Amino acid sequence: MATEQEGATGGWFGETGQISRLPGKAFAAVCLSATLFGIVMVAGLLVYVTKDAIRPLTANPGWFLVFFLTLVAPSVAALGYYRRRGDGEATVALTALGIPFFGLLLGSGVLLLFIDVLSVVEWFAFVVAAVVAGGVIAGHRRLRAGASFAEEFVVAAASLVALAPLTFEFVSTFPTIPEAWLIYLFTFGLGGAVVGGLVVARRRNDRRTGAITAGALFAVATAGVFIDPSTGITPQIWVILFTFAGMPTVLYVESVVRSRQRRPLGLLFPFIVVAGMLLGAALVDLLGFAGPEAWLDFQFLTSANSRFPEEAGIYPALIGSVMMMVVVAVSSFPIGVGAALYLEEYAPNDGPLGVLVRFIEINISNLAGVPSVVYGLLGLALFVNWLNFGSGIVVVGGMTIGLLILPIIIISAQEAIRAVPSSLRQASYGMGATRWQTIRRVVLPEALPGILTGSILAFGRAIGETAPLLMIGAAASVFQPPDGFFDIFSAMPRQIYAWVGQPAYEFQYGVMAAGVVTLITVMISMNAAAILIRNKYQRRS
Amino acid sequence: MSQETNTPDFVGQSGIRSAREQSIKWLLFGCAALSVAVTAAIVATLLFDAIDFFLEVSPVGFFLGTEWSPTIKEEFGVLPLVAGTLFVTALSALIAIPVGVASATYLSEYASPQTRSIIKPALEILAGIPTVVYGYFALVYLTPALEWLGLPLSTFNALSASIMIGIMIIPMVSSLSEDAMSAVPDSLRQAGYGIGATKLEVSTGIVIPAAASGIFSSFILALSRAIGETMIVVVAAGMRPRLVPSPFESLEVMTAAMVQLVTTDIAGGSTAYRAMFAIGITLFTITFAMNLASSFVASRYREEYQ
Repeated sequence: MATEQEGATGGWFGETGQISRLPGKAFAAVCLSATLFGIVMVAGLLVYVTKDAIRPLTANPGWFLVFFLTLVAPSVAALGYYRRRGDGEATVALTALGIPFFGLLLGSGVLLLFIDVLSVVEWFAFVVAAVVAGGVIAGHRRLRAGASFAEEFVVAAASLVALAPLTFEFVSTFPTIPEAWLIYLFTFGLGGAVVGGLVVARRRNDRRTGAITAGALFAVATAGVFIDPSTGITPQIWVILFTFAGMPTVLYVESVVRSRQRRPLGLLFPFIVVAGMLLGAALVDLLGFAGPEAWLDFQFLTSANSRFPEEAGIYPALIGSVMMMVVVAVSSFPIGVGAALYLEEYAPNDGPLGVLVRFIEINISNLAGVPSVVYGLLGLALFVNWLNFGSGIVVVGGMTIGLLILPIIIISAQEAIRAVPSSLRQASYGMGATRWQTIRRVVLPEALPGILTGSILAFGRAIGETAPLLMIGAAASVFQPPDGFFDIFSAMPRQIYAWVGQPAYEFQYGVMAAGVVTLITVMISMNAAAILIRNKYQRRS
Repeated sequence: MSQETNTPDFVGQSGIRSAREQSIKWLLFGCAALSVAVTAAIVATLLFDAIDFFLEVSPVGFFLGTEWSPTIKEEFGVLPLVAGTLFVTALSALIAIPVGVASATYLSEYASPQTRSIIKPALEILAGIPTVVYGYFALVYLTPALEWLGLPLSTFNALSASIMIGIMIIPMVSSLSEDAMSAVPDSLRQAGYGIGATKLEVSTGIVIPAAASGIFSSFILALSRAIGETMIVVVAAGMRPRLVPSPFESLEVMTAAMVQLVTTDIAGGSTAYRAMFAIGITLFTITFAMNLASSFVASRYREEYQ
C-alpha cells in the first residue's frame, strides 16, 4: 500500500500532511466527507431510533446524573487510564468485560431453549443415546485396533443410525429420570470442565494441570448447586450460566494472570462497571429518581405481540430467531467448512476435475450474489412444495437461510485456510502424517479463529434476513414460542415487518423502534464477538 | 488417528489409511459440489413453475406487457416492474457510486493505517444492518425529513428507498474499489510523482484509471445487489406498479411484487402464484449475468498487473 510507506518514512516527495495546493486539499476533504457520509447518516439514524426506543427525556435528570457519576465517569476514566498505561491493558479490560457478557448471552439462549423447546427428558434421552453410540464406536476401536475402514464404517453407521434412536426411544419410556439439574451438571458442567481442562493442558503443555483444572471447574459447578434457590439462582440456571459464562471467564483470568506481560490491572474493569451499575441502581431507588419510560424494557423482551402497543413484545420472535439460528448453524457451518477444505486442500488444478473445480469456484462466488428473495423462492419450492415440509416452520426457515449464507461461509473459510502457511503443512507431511491428519491436527486448529470470525459475521447477516422468511411463509406474529423445530415460528425481522403494517404512532415510533434496537443489538454484538476473536488471534501470527 | 502402526509408513498409503483418506476426500468434495446442486435446484425450481406460467401467459405478453395486475385483472406485463427496478437502481447508484469511489480513494491513498483500521469496520457495519431496518429508517425517519425539506413526497416513495439502498451498497463499492486501488503497483505512483505530479493528480490521473476495471466490476456487483434488494423497497417504496416512475411517488419493483404475491391470499397452483416464479427467474438471470460480468471484468484486470 502506498500510504504506509509514505506515512512511516515521511515520504521521499514531502510530508504526507503537506498537500501543497488548494485543489488537493479540497479533494482530500471531499473524499473524507464521502467516507464519513454513510457512517454519519446511519449513526444518526441509530441514535434517533435508540432515542425513540428508550425515550431518555421521560427520565428524571437526577437519574442520569446518578448513573453518570457512578457508572459512566468511573468506567471512562478507568479506560483512559488503561490506555495511557498502554501495553494492551485496555484490550484486557474490554475482553474481561466482554467474555462474561457474551457468555451470559449464550447461556441465556441455551436456557431459553431448554425452557421453551427441549424438555429435559428429551435432552436426557439424547445425551444417553449419544453416549451409547459413541461408546460403541470407541469400544470397537479399542478392541479391534487393526479393523479395516469398511468395518469401522459399518459399526459407526449402525450405532449412529440404529442404536442411537433405539436408545432414545427406550430412555423416553423411563418412568423416572434423574433431577434436571443433575442432568445439566453431567452434560454441560462436565463437558465444559473437560473442555476447560483440555484448553489449559494445551496452553501449558501439561496434562496434569489440565486434569486439575477440569476437576476444580467441575467441583465449583457442583458446589454452586447448593446456593439457596431463594436468590433466584436455581441449580439448573447456575449450572448452565456457570458453564457458559463462568468457565470461560475463569480461564481468561487465569491466562492473563499467568502471562508474562503482567496486565492483571485490566481485570478490575468489569468490577468497576458492575459496581457502578449496582451502586447507581441503589442510589436511584433511594433518592426516588424515575428512570425513562422506555419501550424497550423487560416487559417488551418477555411478552408476546399484542394489539395494544403497551403490551406488545418480541419474546416468541426472539425464541424463533434463536431456534432458527441453531438450524442455520447446523446446516451451513459443517458443509461450508468442508467445501472450503476441499477447495483449498484437495482440489486439483488441472485435468477434467480441475475444470469442474474451477466451475464450482465461480459458481460459489456467483451464489453469494443471488438475491435473498430468490433463495426464499427456492426454499418455498424445494422444502415446502417438493419435500412437503410445513410452510413457515423453523426447519424450513433455518435451512433456507442456511443455504443463503453457505457461499459466504465457504468464501471466508477459504480465506482463513489459505492464510495458514504451507511450511506448517510440509512439516506435518515430513513427520509422516497423511493429508487428513495434517488437515485435522495442523490446518484446522490454525485456521479456526479465521473460520469462526467469518462464520459469525455470516450468522449476523442471517439473523437479519427477512425476505426469505416472507417467501417461506413464516408467521407474521406468533403468540407462543415454537415448541419444536417442526413448529410454526416467527423471527425478529419478520415481527418487525409485521409491525410496519400497524399505522398507529405508538407502533411506528415506539414498539418498532424497540424491536429494531433489539435486532441491531444482537447483530452488533455478534459482529463485536467476531472482531474480538480476530483481534485476539491476529497478534499470534 | 488412533491406529499408528509400528512399521514406518513413509508414503501414508497403507490400506486403511488410503481408504479413509479417499472417503474423506470425496465427502469434502460432496460439500463443495453441493453449491452446484444448490444452483441447479434454484434454476430447476424456478424453471418448473415458470414454464407452467408461460404455457398460460405468453412470454410476449409477460415481457412486453405494460400492465401488472396479477390478482385483480389477471394482467401479467412485467415492464412496469422492470421500469421501477431500473429506476430505483439508478437512483441508488447516483448515491453509492460517487460516494463509494471517493471513500475508496480516501482509504487507499490518503488514510493512515490507523484511520483505515477504524473506518473500514465502521463501513462494514453499514452492509451488515438488516435491510428491514433500513426500510424502517426510510419510512419513519427519512421520508418525514425529506418532506420537511420541502419535497412533495407521498408516504411511500422511491426517493427515500433509493437513498437507503444507496447507503447500504456504499461499503460494497468502496471496499472492492479500494482493493483494486491498493493493488495498483507503487511504481506507477512513483513515476507520477517523478514527473512532478501532485497527490491529487496521481490519485485521479494514475491510480483511478489504472484500477478502472476493478472499480467498474465493483459497480456492477453493487448494482446487482441493488436490483435484488427486497425489504427496503417493500417497506418504504410501496406497491404500485408504474410504467413511468417518479421519485416522489410510490412504485413497485420486481422483488416487492414477489413478496406481494406470496403474502396475499392466492391459491397454490394459480397463474398468479406461478407469476412469482416467472419474476424470480427473470431476477435470477439478470443478477447472475451481472455477477458473472463483474468477475469477468475483475479477472481481466488482474491479468494486467501480475
